[in-house]
Amino acid sequence: MLTAPATAGPGPPKRPDFPQGVSTTNPGNNLWSEVRQRDLPLTGTSQVKGVDSGVLINVQGDRWARFRIDNPVRHAPTLLVAVVLVLLAFYVLRGKVGIEGGLSGRMVFRFTDYERILHWCLAIVFLFLAITGLILLLGRTLMIPLFGHHLFSLIASASKEGHNLFGPIFLVSLLLMLVSFARRNIYEKGDLTWLLKGGGFIGKGHVSGGFFNMGEKSWYWLVILIGLAISISGLILVFPNFGQGRVIMVVSNVVHVFGAIVLIAVSIGHMYMGSIGTEGSSEGMKSGYVDINWADAHHDRWAKTCHENDEILSAEEFARLQGEPIDSGEATTGAGK
Amino acid sequence: MIEYLIEGPLWYFSLAVFCIGVLLQLGRIVFAKGKADLSVARGSASSGAIRNVFSRFVPHREIAPQIRVQVVAGYMFHLGLFALLFFAAPHVNFIEKQLLGFGWTPMPHWAFIVASQFAFFGLILLWLRRMLNSVSRLISTTDDHIAAILTFVVMLTGCLALGKGSHELKLLHFFTVELLMIYFPFSCLMHTFTFIPSRAFTGAWFGRRGIDA
Repeated sequence: MLTAPATAGPGPPKRPDFPQGVSTTNPGNNLWSEVRQRDLPLTGTSQVKGVDSGVLINVQGDRWARFRIDNPVRHAPTLLVAVVLVLLAFYVLRGKVGIEGGLSGRMVFRFTDYERILHWCLAIVFLFLAITGLILLLGRTLMIPLFGHHLFSLIASASKEGHNLFGPIFLVSLLLMLVSFARRNIYEKGDLTWLLKGGGFIGKGHVSGGFFNMGEKSWYWLVILIGLAISISGLILVFPNFGQGRVIMVVSNVVHVFGAIVLIAVSIGHMYMGSIGTEGSSEGMKSGYVDINWADAHHDRWAKTCHENDEILSAEEFARLQGEPIDSGEATTGAGK
Repeated sequence: MIEYLIEGPLWYFSLAVFCIGVLLQLGRIVFAKGKADLSVARGSASSGAIRNVFSRFVPHREIAPQIRVQVVAGYMFHLGLFALLFFAAPHVNFIEKQLLGFGWTPMPHWAFIVASQFAFFGLILLWLRRMLNSVSRLISTTDDHIAAILTFVVMLTGCLALGKGSHELKLLHFFTVELLMIYFPFSCLMHTFTFIPSRAFTGAWFGRRGIDA
């Protein structure tokens, strides 16, 4: 509607004023809105038969990409670095958790060859998957500035192939681990006390433990449950040809990524406790035998049965079993069987 | 430059070292002079040889429970590696174009993946057993460890190079294969060629003496 006629006089003709707020509908707007599914999910029809083939643009993919960048990609490095810093601070302040009276040299059998092979197999495959997975998750942000696009594309391609290849090996190792260790990791009386005392870090006095203590049992079930979630979601992602739609793929990716980050973060703590964090801990998974003083300190209920059944080896006997040269001076620390 | 070296001179050099080295080692075994067996034959050496070649594929019942891991892992690794080496599509293609001039039907991609998973899982288990079992650890030599690690690296670089268009990764795989070929004739990896003659020789010796072992 025209409200102001052009004024007479010299100069260029003035453009007419239009009232504000008049909407001019672009006929393409509605079409684009429906294509983007801004109002509701819309499924059309197509000659192509398949999952989501009637959807022109799937908004779930966009949402997932934004979520992935805003959450795991942004916060995972912070979490992992924080875990390392906390452990470093703990080590500086507290030092290595020692054993009262030190190591005796007298050993008791704890893990069979098969159990140790299984543990290290799972550990090696897990580390490989963790490294390749983190490259795939964070590489674009962290590695391209360092290595450039070409080298990163090679590393990412190799990581993707390796990750997909070793995933099923992780699942099989995990299932074997479940079968071999489940019975000894069932929670029992006394485990809650261990938890309330923070494994001995809270309060005073000795914290009692069986073959596995509460912390080890919880770590075991965390590995099994999150490991299974990661494996199943990983299989869904690797085999997209079984009819799963975009939503299932997105959910699987989120479960896979978050599960993996949690497991990697806690595994750093496990590696710390099993190596430099606690005196005598690593020996069990190396030789299969542990020092009896270590067993008394951390697993007293199990150690008690070892004492009762007379299962303790002297230092000489242990050295002979390991094929090591026997030092007669040190061997005197062993009190015999 | 590196590409030319790996695909050219180093390939021909490693192929020559492999072929000549293997032939020399086998010749050394075949023509080794041993003491003549003057004893009266109590059984057939030939049947003993044949029996021993096949019977050693299955462990003795008495020790089977103790060596279950390495028997299962050993079969997983060797069968997986055999399938990869001779039936993976890139290998069949390479054999056809670069070595023999003819090829055969390769296995499908899914079978390639399954075979490589078997091979990797088996090799990891075998190497861990070598490291963790006190007796195996004591009788293992540096050669055993180098052979295992080199084989693992060759398999790993091969599988990592599966992505399309990654020529550099394929070049890396090619390079590790060449290292393995150069190392092969002088290492325990020679058992690839010697395990059947070795079993046959022992079986013939047993057979001639009437030993049922």
